[in-house]
Amino acid sequence: MSSILTYIAISEGKIKRSSLEVLSRSKAIADANGLACEAIIIDENASSFTDSVQNYGASKIHIVEDSIFSQHRNTPLLSALSKVMEASKPKVVAFASTEGTKDILGALAANQKAGVVADVSSFDLTSSGVIAKRPVMAAKVVGNVEVTGETILVSVRSGSYELVESPITAEVNTIEFSSSESDLKAKLREIISATGDTIDLNEAETIVAAGRGVKDEEAKSLITELARVLNAGIGASRALTEAGVYDPSLQIGQTGKVVSPQLYIAVGISGAIQHVAGMANSKVIVAINKDADAPIFEVADYGIVGDLYKVLPPFIEELKKLKS
Amino acid sequence: MKFYVCIKMVPDVYAPFQIKDGELIMDADRMVLNAYDASAVEEALVLSEKHGGEVEVVCIGSAKASETIRKALAMGADKGSHIVTTGDEGFDSGSYANILTAFLKDKEYDVLSLGKQSQDTDSGLTGSMVAELLHLPYTTNAVGLEIENGNLIVKRQGDTGQEIIELPTPCAVTCSNDMNEPRIPNLKGIMASKRKPIDTIDLASLGISESDLSPNSKVVSFEHKPARKAGQKFEGEADEIAREVAQLLDTEANVI
Ligand SMILES: Cc1cc2nc3c(=O)[nH]c(=O)nc-3n(C[C@H](O)[C@H](O)[C@H](O)COP(=O)(O)OP(=O)(O)OC[C@H]3O[C@@H](n4cnc5c(N)ncnc54)[C@H](O)[C@@H]3O)c2cc1C
Ligand SMILES: Nc1ncnc2c1ncn2[C@@H]1O[C@H](COP(=O)(O)O)[C@@H](O)[C@H]1O
Repeated sequence: MSSILTYIAISEGKIKRSSLEVLSRSKAIADANGLACEAIIIDENASSFTDSVQNYGASKIHIVEDSIFSQHRNTPLLSALSKVMEASKPKVVAFASTEGTKDILGALAANQKAGVVADVSSFDLTSSGVIAKRPVMAAKVVGNVEVTGETILVSVRSGSYELVESPITAEVNTIEFSSSESDLKAKLREIISATGDTIDLNEAETIVAAGRGVKDEEAKSLITELARVLNAGIGASRALTEAGVYDPSLQIGQTGKVVSPQLYIAVGISGAIQHVAGMANSKVIVAINKDADAPIFEVADYGIVGDLYKVLPPFIEELKKLKS
Repeated sequence: MKFYVCIKMVPDVYAPFQIKDGELIMDADRMVLNAYDASAVEEALVLSEKHGGEVEVVCIGSAKASETIRKALAMGADKGSHIVTTGDEGFDSGSYANILTAFLKDKEYDVLSLGKQSQDTDSGLTGSMVAELLHLPYTTNAVGLEIENGNLIVKRQGDTGQEIIELPTPCAVTCSNDMNEPRIPNLKGIMASKRKPIDTIDLASLGISESDLSPNSKVVSFEHKPARKAGQKFEGEADEIAREVAQLLDTEANVI
C-alpha cells in the first residue's frame, strides 16, 4: 500500500507539537484515500518517541537513531530522509515547517526529484497530486497551489491543524545509519541558545509581543510581568530583535516565526504587513498602541488606544484578579 | 573571495492589488530587488571590502529584470549576468534552481549566496536545491557571515538558537534580512553602475529549453486571506479601558 509519511521533528528532547498536528492531518488524508499513515523519527533517542507517535495513528514508524542527530545538521538529516524515502516510496512526505525543515526541504526535493510545496496552511490529496493553500504577498493573499510528482513534499505552518489522537500499535522499522562528524564538510561549532527558560512560541497558548514602543527597562519589565501573569511566551517585532532588546529567535513575522496562539497581545507594535504576516492567524488579538491610526488595530479584536506605560499596570492588575 | 549572489526581481508587496476570477492583478511595473537578496549582496560587499574579492550577481528574469541587476551594481557589485526569459513561464523554485545550476556548474567561486526566500512567495526552496544540485556544502537562514582562514563562518538562526557553522569553500548560503541593513546606492554608485558589464544569456546557450523546466508546482488561483471579524477599539481613560478589555478577554473571548 502506498503511504503518506510524516516527519516527526524533535527539538531539545521533545516532539515538536506542530509535527503531531501534521501527523493528525496525514492520518485523516490516509484514511480518506486508502493510504498507510507512516512516520519517521530521526534523533539520537528516536526510539523513545514511538509511543507518543503511535498515539496519533502512525501504523509504521521508521526510526533512525544516531548521536549525530543530537543537534540539527543538514547533511546527515538529508541522507537519512533520502534513505527512508527510497526504501518506502511514499506518495507524500509531510513536515512541520520548522527552521530545521526549511534547511533541507529544497535539497531533499532536488535529491529525490520530488514535487514540493513549502509552508502551507492546508493541504489535501487529489488524483494528480497535492493541492495546498499558502499565504503569499506577505500573507495578504492566499495562493492555491497544485503540485505533481511521483512523490510530493509538503511543509505545514504550525497551528494549521488540530491534534487528533487515534491510538494504534505501530510496527517499528529501525533503519541502519551511521555518520561521523569528521566526515561532514559543514562543521557545527556551537549553538548560542536564548537565555532563560523560554516558551516555544509555536506552541504557546498565549503570546505577549513587544515592539519599538517598548523602549526601556520599565516597559520591558511590564512585558515580563504581563507574560508571567498569563503564562505567556514573549515575542518581539523586528524593531526590537534588531536593536538587540530581545533575542533574535523571538522575532515574529515574515522573516521570523509564524505563530497562531489563542491570545496574542501586541504592545507598541505598529502592525507592518511583515509583522502581521506572522500573527494574523492568532485566535484573539489584542493591540495596545498610543497611535489610534496604527495598522495593528485593523487586525485586532480588542484595540486599546493608549500609552503602554499607563495601560499595562491596570491591565496586569485586572488580569491578576481574574486569574486568582 | 569570489562571490556569486543570486538576485531576483519580485513584485512590491506594498503595491495595490486586485483579485479577479482567481487572478492576482498588480501593476507589473512595481517590481523590486528581493529584500533578502539585497542583504545577500550587502554582506558579500562588506566581506569583499574587508578581505578582498569580487562580487558578481546573477538574475533570471524578463528584460525588466536588468533594472534589478543595475541596482545591485549601483550598491557596488562588480558584474552582472542576466539570464533572460520571457517572464511569464510560471516557473517555480525548482525551475529557477535548474537554471542557476546550469549557469553555475562550470563557474569558479568561493561563496554562492542566495536569499533565504522570495519576499512575494516565501517559498524558501531555491537555495538548498541549488546547493544539492551543485553538491555544495551549505546552510540556510544566515544572520551573520565571517571569513576565517578561507572558510565561511555562518551564524544561522535555527529552531533552538543561533548555530555557528563553518563551511569550507566553495559553499552555498541563504541569507536573512536580519543580517544587515542593505546600503542605498548613492549617486556615485549609480553613475558607476552604468559602466559595469552585464552579460546577457539565453536559456538555449545554457543548454536548456523551457520544456525541461516545466514546474512541479503551479499556482492555480488566488483568493483573499480569510477575513477577521471587525474588532472593537477602546479609547479613553487608560485605567478604565485597560480593565474593561481584561474583563472582556475573560467573559467574552474566554481566553484567560
Ligand atoms: C522582507 C521584510 C521582512 C520583515 N520581517 C519582519 C518580521 O518577521 N517581523 C517584524 O516584526 N518585522 C519584519 N519586518 C519589518 C517591518 O516592516 C517593520 O519595520 C517592523 O515590524 C516594525 O516594528 P515595530 O512595529 O515594533 O516598530 P514601529 O513600526 O516603529 O512601531 C512602533 C509602534 O509603537 C507605538 N508606540 C510607541 N510608543 C508607545 C507607547 N509608549 N505606548 C503605546 N504605543 C507606543 C507607536 O505608535 C508605533 O505604532 C520585515 C521587513 C521586510 C522588508
Ligand atoms: N529568478 C531568479 N533569479 C536569480 N535568483 C533567484 C531567482 N529565483 C530565486 N532566486 C534565488 O533564490 C532565492 C529565493 O528562493 P525561493 O524562495 O525558493 O523563490 C532568492 O532569494 C534568490 O537568491
